[in-house]
Amino acid sequence: MKPEAQVLKGHLDTLLLASLENGPLHGYAVKEALRDGSDARFDLPTGTIYPALRRLEAAGLVSGTWAEAGGRRRRTYQLTPAGRRRLAGDRAAWRDFASAVTAILEPAP
Amino acid sequence: MTSPLIACYVTGLHRELPAPIADEAADGLTEAYEYHLAAGTGEQEAARAALAEFGELELVVGEYTRQAPGRRAARLLLATGPVAGLCWALALIPGRAWTWPVPATARLGYGAALLLTAALLLAAATSRHSYHRTRLTTAASPLLLALDATAVAAVALAAPALTPALAVAAAFSLSRIVFTAWVLPRLTAR
Repeated sequence: MKPEAQVLKGHLDTLLLASLENGPLHGYAVKEALRDGSDARFDLPTGTIYPALRRLEAAGLVSGTWAEAGGRRRRTYQLTPAGRRRLAGDRAAWRDFASAVTAILEPAP
Repeated sequence: MTSPLIACYVTGLHRELPAPIADEAADGLTEAYEYHLAAGTGEQEAARAALAEFGELELVVGEYTRQAPGRRAARLLLATGPVAGLCWALALIPGRAWTWPVPATARLGYGAALLLTAALLLAAATSRHSYHRTRLTTAASPLLLALDATAVAAVALAAPALTPALAVAAAFSLSRIVFTAWVLPRLTAR
């Protein structure tokens, strides 16, 4: 596994929650959102998105529902209120962390 | 609307995973396939592209296995083993438990059930590529419940006196009964 993929794995839950922030999405659209939002740097195998979504669902952060569309059943995922709270917390923690790292790596002249 | 390549992969998903999970993953694969078809790619090429994006069956099954509730529960329950063993050893050895009126067959049966439970939990906890193996926790949990309940009942019925060490060991087993009973429905639901 590439080092970037390893780091990504540690933040996957937050990134998945963020991709669902603006409304329900299908799993494939979640993968697309991650890829497009990162200029194709985060291009995970689609098949690994679903186990992660299932884990988030089991944790009550995401809810998945089946709906009939286009002649077949499709599953969409959306944030639960607990998922929104987790995302807000993760976002604040990331901002703190990122600003601390930036302050060290790029000190003001 | 599907292709033989996709159908073959979906058959593999259903072989390796419980139906609700396989359905979920198959839906994702079909969505990817339809996306490529809609972009004007030919059927064969769309199927190849969708499969390449989705990842090898082994990778996907491995990821589901790694995150399986049965695997996590087995790890938690196994971690309680050494603590339970220590608590009971500290309670039973000074209490000379071998002198209690418990038939030899019952002792042997208890020991065998304990080994079987530990083996089942270990198999579930260490599974990396087999989701089905993580479901052994569903078989091990009722056994563990019975073992803990038997241990507590044995103290109540056969111990000559309730020492503080016995009370601690029994309390640990009672806590584990509550935890196992909480975990079990969450395993059988998935």
